[in-house]
Amino acid sequence: MTLDYFLSIIKPMLEGAQATVLLFFIAIIVSIPLGFLLTLAVRSSIKPLSLFAHGYIYLMRGTPLLLQLLFFVFGLPLLPVIGEHLVLDRFVAATLAFIFNYAAYFAEIFRGGLLAIDKGQYEASQVLGLSKWQTTTRIILPQMFRVALPAVSNESITLVKDTALLYAVAVPELLHFAQTAVNRDFTIIPFFFAGIIYLIMTLILTLFFKRLEKKYTFSG
Amino acid sequence: MAIIEVSNLKKSFGELEVLKQITFDVKQNEVVAIIGPSGSGKSTMLRSLIHLEEINGGSIAVGGDYLVKDGVYPKQSEVKRVTAKMGMVFQHFNLYPHLTVIENLELAPKLRKLESKEAVRKRSTELLGKIGLSAFANAHPATLSGGQKQRVAIARALMTNPDILLFDEPTSALDPELTGEVLQVMKDLAEEHMTMIVVTHEMGFAQEVADRVMFMDKGEIIESGSPEEVLLNPKFERTKAFLNRSLK
Repeated sequence: MTLDYFLSIIKPMLEGAQATVLLFFIAIIVSIPLGFLLTLAVRSSIKPLSLFAHGYIYLMRGTPLLLQLLFFVFGLPLLPVIGEHLVLDRFVAATLAFIFNYAAYFAEIFRGGLLAIDKGQYEASQVLGLSKWQTTTRIILPQMFRVALPAVSNESITLVKDTALLYAVAVPELLHFAQTAVNRDFTIIPFFFAGIIYLIMTLILTLFFKRLEKKYTFSG
Repeated sequence: MAIIEVSNLKKSFGELEVLKQITFDVKQNEVVAIIGPSGSGKSTMLRSLIHLEEINGGSIAVGGDYLVKDGVYPKQSEVKRVTAKMGMVFQHFNLYPHLTVIENLELAPKLRKLESKEAVRKRSTELLGKIGLSAFANAHPATLSGGQKQRVAIARALMTNPDILLFDEPTSALDPELTGEVLQVMKDLAEEHMTMIVVTHEMGFAQEVADRVMFMDKGEIIESGSPEEVLLNPKFERTKAFLNRSLK
């Protein structure tokens, strides 16, 4: 294999990886706060809000991400009346599907983090005279995020790999260009390259979260 | 002078009546030990005093202000004002695990803007010295022993300058060899005339440090008096039976 050939397949793949990375960052930056809001909604004492959040999480976790992707990219424009206003750019539509899906998972992760906090933390804060807001922002949330960190890390790595689903809605990304090269040149090597690029991305994420976990350790 | 006045306190969890018409006073500078079998309601009673439990009837007054009067609580700001006169130390310490020792101490006075930052730092440094943990100011609670954690919890409770300290079985979660250091800190506080109410299983501590011992059983105060009276010459069968069991 010559260097020229290597460059000729790796260049489009790296360009495709840009879509992967872009989707990853948009999805994670929007779905984490959204997921947190959902957690609050689930725990809200306002019944309809809590019911909505429960239903939403059930729906998004209970159906395949691929189905949701197809729905957002190809299904929305087919909706009666409003459909014609919902013809979105395919990348945009796919990103929305990822955001809505991952928000549901992050909501469950944060809910687990909240459940892990001992009620003694609330009681100590009450007897020390902290307000509800102070207790939430200074005591509960920092601990919740710390408890949730390993699960958030895990979910983020899954997100990197799930970006490959863009392939199914014909948004050019890393896997798309690998597959093109495989078909064109009748060689399996681009698949290995694709695998290596995914591994590099997940490695960077893994190291990033390991550092976060270490930085926010409770025993330092 | 009574600093805490409790009258006809009633508390139920559903059908279960855990506190039945409890009436007692605590005088300023007094150290009261509350003993009794588990399930006797002693922890619930202590927690009611600082509004961790809502009572169903009766009154609690602290320093002349009602926390609850005839089963009716005043508005939240008043409840907060009254409970702020007290500090509490828990069985399981309840330190903030994400904060260092000194941050644990300083968080509440800083957030509540009780004093200037400098005054808060001065006080936390002083208190850490007093409990012998100056070297651990920047450690996280997870790295401390149980006895050290409880000493930090006591210091944290003192940071807001309470008139009264409540202790809910402060040594029950500790290995026996670690109870001494915590009891010593409490003894020092008693010598400085801190008003303290201590729910405890430590009969030695009750006998040595308490001015008064109250024995509770099944939601009632059965017997109350000096340690000599209650621990050495109990009048009631239930007290005798409990003391026999716990001394074995």
